[in-house]
Amino acid sequence: MNPPPAIEVQNLRYRYHDGTEALGGVSFRIEPGECVGLLGPNGSGKSTLLLHLNGILPDEPGANGTVRVNGALLSRANLEAIRRQVGLVFQDPDDQLFCPTVAEDVAFGPQQLGLVGSEVKHRVQRALVQVGLPDFDQRTPHHLSHGEKRRVCLAGVLACEPSILVFDEPTSDLDPRGRREFKALLRQIPATKVIATHDLELVVELCRRVIVLDRGVIVADGLTRVVLDDEPLMLAHGLEKPHILFHRHPH
Amino acid sequence: MKLHLLEPHHGRLNTVIQRTPAELKLGGGLVIITLTVMLPAPATVWLWCATAILGLVVLLSRLPLLFLLQRLLLLAPFVLGVTLVNAFQPAYRAHWCWLVARSVLCLLTVLLVSNTTPFSEVLRVLRRVRVPTLLITTLALMHRYLFVLVEEAERMRRARAGRTFTARRRWQWPVLAGVAGQLFIRASERAERIYAAMCARGLK
Amino acid sequence: MDSASVAQSVDPIMHIPDGFIDGKTVVVTATLSAIGVGLALNRVHHTFPARKIPMLGLAAAFLFAAQMLNFPVVAGTSGHLIGGVLVAALLGPSAAVVVVTTVLIVQCFLFQDGGVLALGANIFNMAILGAGGGWVIFRCVAALLRGTRGRITAVAFAAWLSTVLAAAGCAAQLAWSGKVDWKSAFTAMVGVHLLIGLGEGLISALVFAAIQRTRPELMQTGPSAEPHTRWGEFAFFGLLAAVGLALFVAPLACPWPDGLAVVAEKLGFALAATPPMLPVLAPEYSFPGIHSAALATAVAGAVGCLIVFALALLLACVLVPKRTEHPSATSAPP
Repeated sequence: MNPPPAIEVQNLRYRYHDGTEALGGVSFRIEPGECVGLLGPNGSGKSTLLLHLNGILPDEPGANGTVRVNGALLSRANLEAIRRQVGLVFQDPDDQLFCPTVAEDVAFGPQQLGLVGSEVKHRVQRALVQVGLPDFDQRTPHHLSHGEKRRVCLAGVLACEPSILVFDEPTSDLDPRGRREFKALLRQIPATKVIATHDLELVVELCRRVIVLDRGVIVADGLTRVVLDDEPLMLAHGLEKPHILFHRHPH
Repeated sequence: MKLHLLEPHHGRLNTVIQRTPAELKLGGGLVIITLTVMLPAPATVWLWCATAILGLVVLLSRLPLLFLLQRLLLLAPFVLGVTLVNAFQPAYRAHWCWLVARSVLCLLTVLLVSNTTPFSEVLRVLRRVRVPTLLITTLALMHRYLFVLVEEAERMRRARAGRTFTARRRWQWPVLAGVAGQLFIRASERAERIYAAMCARGLK
Repeated sequence: MDSASVAQSVDPIMHIPDGFIDGKTVVVTATLSAIGVGLALNRVHHTFPARKIPMLGLAAAFLFAAQMLNFPVVAGTSGHLIGGVLVAALLGPSAAVVVVTTVLIVQCFLFQDGGVLALGANIFNMAILGAGGGWVIFRCVAALLRGTRGRITAVAFAAWLSTVLAAAGCAAQLAWSGKVDWKSAFTAMVGVHLLIGLGEGLISALVFAAIQRTRPELMQTGPSAEPHTRWGEFAFFGLLAAVGLALFVAPLACPWPDGLAVVAEKLGFALAATPPMLPVLAPEYSFPGIHSAALATAVAGAVGCLIVFALALLLACVLVPKRTEHPSATSAPP
């Protein structure tokens, strides 16, 4: 028997309190080990969709469409178990690094899992080594560079050892070197990945498949090369064909 | 206030004082301050003892003297105020020197402790002496986002100033109040995002 | 003191350093503050939804950052927000007490603004009197005048009055410790803060109105889900503020008659020390009647309150035009 899909979303709808529709019936499935890019113009509902994947939205799960993680239906009862499996890396690292020191921040997740003492320490050290910042444990988040903050955020999520990683704009505001390093880091992580981004080069390099979202609905879902090559589609949804594709397929 | 004056000095130095456990530094500081404030009037012996202890700590911690002196000036407005209020009170004049000496010693003590102890260590000690968790969480979050918000305020103020062409004083108040209001709104939005980030990492 | 040092030393005047209050004052203020902050923490713990808890820390950081914005006054001087009443009007009294206490602790430890043993006194003056007591005043006025205008009037008036109360508390504690003469300290502190309070009221009202305009749903002052708690908080903070003030002021006000001549001398000094912008309010305070100084002060205080109240009302009318008043005039029951 095949393993269940890592993520299965069916007919997901969401409306903000002021009445604007953020998601208008979204359905897709992602297999274990896949790395999927989520594209779309600003305000297309990408971030809202990501917040649904580990149950931060909506307040009452299950009322408007369903989310399944590794086969389990997301509901109020298994919220904790789902959040253990889905790690969410937010766009602004300052929002995610809320503890006084790097070590405490990375330890936050494991502590919420109920771990104590040496096991927490062990996980913190391993996560920091994984993101290439082994000596940063006593630093304060405020004094880190933007790229370092991003890595610490990732370490904080990795310390919970999730099987699925969800990223919101992982390379925004990074300089070219920071971007290159972060991409290399992402490539090394074996987990299933969903990456919402405007960085098309990142998508071309890392993701075999992309989903394009516009005004809360999926307008394209397929192989990266095929979708991004469709110039009319890309332009119609506020995107563009990446230069990197032009170089590989000279017309 | 000048922000560079507010940035604490720890982290850059690593002397015997910086390595002393936070419990010892906080406890010792509290004892020195309590004795200095509580001992009856002259207490000359103690004041000299305290001066000697603090002097030794200053030397060992290798904190820049100029920095310490600048911070000690913080007392000036208060001392000045009390002096002025009591200017016509001969009865108080005798105590004045002792008053200032005590204040300077206490301020120097806090100055030394806070500049050799990271705030996260202070929070750890507070947790250990069972200060309510809610207060510690609030202290930690305030400390974490202090400079983030100060920088945000400064950026907004500059952006507004860049679009304000009249230098008339009268109009600066609503503009600045607008900046402060915007700052509050952004702070509350950030608080929501922080809560989401806490939940995402399994907050119970 | 010229107006420059007055305006620029808003903060240090209010933050008592160590050494300026004695043992008994330390113990009494610390006890009162511990009771007040303890109850505030308890209330927040039981009534605040979990998702709002991070807002306490962020509101504290906001207060600190907002205090960095300098509002120009005259000739290169400036004032800034103190903010206890503003936060209380936005988040409720218990949250505001926790927020202001947090700010004071961080200011004390990191920036050495205010002493360690004086922390209890500073928390009492600025968190309990300033934010908690300020909220009680705010609530009274908001119950009297409904709608957006009513709330802006309430914020302005409560911010002014709570600043003055906090200054009076500060003066009383210094005098109780025998560090200053009560009458001259009271006159000087209250005189200066009558003015500073006007700035505080104006800034608080402007910021409150700005938030009200952009994000009215952030306002927590509307019909409360738990009226009992609100009444409880109302009674508690009102009582604590009153008890504290009475405790400090009563022993000082008793030996009142001794040497009116000396008082007059000091009052003359205080007038010279306060800036010339004061004429509307200060003279009432500085003309104690020949027969009864206490009565004269009380009458002058009442008149001053009425004047500031009228000013606050005027400000609210300017800030909220008539046509925008009615649609949003929904909340604020007593």
